Amino acid sequence: MEDLIAKRTRARNRRSVKGQMRVVESILAILIVISAVTFFYFFASAPSSQARDVGELEKIGHNILHDIDEQGLLARYVYRSEWGNLTSALSVSLPINVYFSLSIYDVNNNPINHPLIQYGDQQVFSSSAAVASVTYIVPGYQMNYNPRILVLKLVNG
Amino acid sequence: MRLAKERKGQFIIIAAMLLSIMIISVSTVIYGTVTYYRQERWEEYITIVDSIKTASCNLLQIGLANYTQTLNPNVTRDYFNRWIRDARSAYPGYGVDVNYALASGLRSAYGIAPPINYSLGLARRWNVPTSYSVSNATVSINIASVGLTGYNFSSNVFLKMSIRDVVWYTGSGNWYVIMYLSVDKEELEPIISLQASNFASVKLSGVPQSFSMKRYYSSTYQRFIYEIRVNSVTVLPSSANITLVDNRGIKTISYTTNVQQV
Repeated sequence: MEDLIAKRTRARNRRSVKGQMRVVESILAILIVISAVTFFYFFASAPSSQARDVGELEKIGHNILHDIDEQGLLARYVYRSEWGNLTSALSVSLPINVYFSLSIYDVNNNPINHPLIQYGDQQVFSSSAAVASVTYIVPGYQMNYNPRILVLKLVNG
Repeated sequence: MRLAKERKGQFIIIAAMLLSIMIISVSTVIYGTVTYYRQERWEEYITIVDSIKTASCNLLQIGLANYTQTLNPNVTRDYFNRWIRDARSAYPGYGVDVNYALASGLRSAYGIAPPINYSLGLARRWNVPTSYSVSNATVSINIASVGLTGYNFSSNVFLKMSIRDVVWYTGSGNWYVIMYLSVDKEELEPIISLQASNFASVKLSGVPQSFSMKRYYSSTYQRFIYEIRVNSVTVLPSSANITLVDNRGIKTISYTTNVQQV
C-alpha cells in the first residue's frame, strides 16, 4: 500500500515537473515569436517625413518648370534675359510657403551671369535640412542650339 | 520511452523557432523589395527622364526652325549628336545615354497627300496652297545607374498653313484683296496666337505688299481664320504668296494662283 502511494506521489511530481517545463517552453516560444515580429516591424518602418517633403518639392519644382516650358515662355525668359518675368512666373506658380532660388549654368557647368532669381531669405536655404533640387535643361531658343542648365532649389518656409 | 517523451516536449520550441525563421525570412524578402523601391529616388529619375524628353522635343523644334530658315538639311542630326554629349554631362553620374533615329522616307501623317517625304528627320512642302514644314524623330533614353533602358518615344513638330481663299473685291470704288488663311500645328491643332508680325511677307503677283490682319473664328470655314487685307489693289493679282514664321521660329510659305474676283 505504501509502495502504491509512493509510486503515485512520484508520478504526480514527475507530471508537475513536466507541466512546469511546458510553461517554460511556452514562454520561450512566445519570446522567440515576439522577437521575430519585433524584428519584422523594425524593418517595416516608414520613411522620414523629411524625405517625403523633398520628394514632393522636387515634383512641384519640375512640374512648374515643365509647365512654363510647355507654354514656350521658359526659353524666352532665359535667352532674352527676362529675369523679372521668370521670377514672377515661378513666384506665382509655387505655393506661398515654398521659397526658391534659381541658378543657371551653361553646358560646361559655368554659371551664367544673372541677377538673383530668388524668393525668400538666403538664410532659409542654408539653415534648412531639407532642400529640394531640380535640374532642368533648356536646349536652345528659336533656331539656335545653346543649352542652359537650370538648377531650381526649393525649401518649405 | 522517456527520451521520446522529452523530444515531444520540445515540439513547441521547435515550432516557434520554425515560425520565427519563416517570419524573419519573409520580412527580409519584403524589406529587400519594399525598401529598395522606397529608397531609390524614383521621383528624381522620373524628372530626369521627363526633362530629357521635353528637351529632346524642343531640340526637334529648334532644328526645324533652323532648317526652315537656313535650309541646312543636316541641322537636326548635328543638334542631336551634340545633345547626346551634352545630356550626359548635364546629369553626371547617372549614366544618361540618349539615342535617336531620324525619320526617313515616305510617311503618312496629318492627312497630308502625297505622304511626307522625310530626309534626316526633316521635310517641307512650300509654294503650294497648303504648305507645311515638319520634323520627326524617335528618341531612346537609358539611365544606367538605375537600370532603365530602352525608354522610347516618338516626337514630331509640325506647321501647316492653308490658303483657303484669295478674293479681289472691286465694289464701291474701294479695290482690295483679302486672303483667308488657316494655320495648324501638331495634331492639327489650330494656332490662334499669331500676330501680323508673324507674317514675314505678303506678295501679290510677286510684289511685296503692306497689309493688315484680323483673326477670328469663321462660321463659313468652320475654323479659326486669319484674314489678311491688302488695300488699293487696282489689278487682279495673278498670284498670292504668304510667308509665315510662327512663334517657335518655324517657317512655311504658301502660294496660290487661284484669285477670285467679287
